[in-house]
Amino acid sequence: MIVGEQKPIAEIAQMIASYNKLLILGCGTCVKTCFAGGEDEVAVLASALRLFLKKKNPKIEIKEQTVERQCEDEFIQEAGPAVAQNEAVLSLACGAGVQALARRFVKVPIIPGVNTTFIGIQEAQGIFTEECRGCGDCILEIFGGICPLTRCSKKLLNGPCGGSRDGICEVNPETECAWQLIINRLTALGQSDNLCRYIPPKNWGSSISGGPRKLVREDHII
Amino acid sequence: MDFKPRVTIFHCINAFDENQKIIDLNINFIKMPCSSMTKDVFLLRAFEAGADGVVVLVCPQDRCQYVEGSLRAQKRVGYVKKLLDEIGIDTRRLSIYNLNTNQAKNVIQEAVQAIAALGPQT
Repeated sequence: MIVGEQKPIAEIAQMIASYNKLLILGCGTCVKTCFAGGEDEVAVLASALRLFLKKKNPKIEIKEQTVERQCEDEFIQEAGPAVAQNEAVLSLACGAGVQALARRFVKVPIIPGVNTTFIGIQEAQGIFTEECRGCGDCILEIFGGICPLTRCSKKLLNGPCGGSRDGICEVNPETECAWQLIINRLTALGQSDNLCRYIPPKNWGSSISGGPRKLVREDHII
Repeated sequence: MDFKPRVTIFHCINAFDENQKIIDLNINFIKMPCSSMTKDVFLLRAFEAGADGVVVLVCPQDRCQYVEGSLRAQKRVGYVKKLLDEIGIDTRRLSIYNLNTNQAKNVIQEAVQAIAALGPQT
C-alpha cells in the first residue's frame, strides 16, 4: 500500500487560509490503513482545524466526506456534489489521489493534506515499513523475496557490505540488515546458491529516473 | 474560586459507580462501555462544544476487563494532547486518571480544580 503521514495542522491552516468553505476529502484505501486519511482522520482533522481557526477565521465552514478510493475516477465522482458546494478541497489521499481530483475538478483548488512517503506494509499495528521502490523491474525471486534496493541502506545488489553487526545495519541501528535477512531466507529455502550469482547493474530506465511511467493494458481498453 | 469551568468527563462504566457522580450542571458525563472507546474525535469535539477541560476516567491498567482498554485510552489521550499543542490549546485541559475504587469523587474534584485554575478556554 501507499503509506502517508498527515501534514502538521499549522501547515494545512496556512494552505487553506484564503477559503471560507472547505471540503476535507478522505480516501478509504491505503491512507486509511496507515491512519493518515480515512474517515476517522478526516473527522479528527476537521475538528482540529475548526478549533485552530476559531479565532483566525471563525467564518470557515468545513465539510467532511470520504470516498472508497481517490485514485479512481469512478469513486471520485461520488464527491462531485460536495466539491461543487465548496471553494476548495483538502485531500487526505496520496499524491496520486490529489492529482486524480485535480483532473476531475479542473476549476477547484485541490490541497494536499498528507505527505506521501513510501510503498510499504504494516509490519505491526501502527508500524509501517518501506518495502518497494517501484523500480519497474522486479527481481525479488533472486533475493528470497526481500528487496535489497529498498531495505538495504546502501542499495547493494551484490551484498552484504560488511557493516552489519548482529543482523543490524551500521547506517541505522533501527534497521535490520537486509542482506542478513536475505541470507537467512535463502538458506531456509535451500536457495543459498543465489548468493553466488553476480547481479549486474540495474537498468533504471524503467524506474521514475526514466521519466513518468505509464502502464497500458490494451485488453481493458474499449 | 469564582470561575466554574465546563468539563466533559468520559468514563468507563467499570471505572466508577454511577452513584458517585457529582451533581454539577457544569459537568457533562459521557459513559463508555470500555475506555478503549475513547476516540480522538470525541475528545476534540468536546472542546468544540465549549468545554474548558476534558477528563477521561479509566480503570487501573491491571484491572481493565478488556485487557487493553485503559492502555488504548492513555495512548489516544497522548495523541490528542499533541494535537491540542498544535492547535494552541493548553494540554493540561485534557487529562486522564486511572481510578481505584471509591476515588472518583476526589479525583473529579481535583481535575475540575486544575481546569478551573487555567481559566476559560477561549
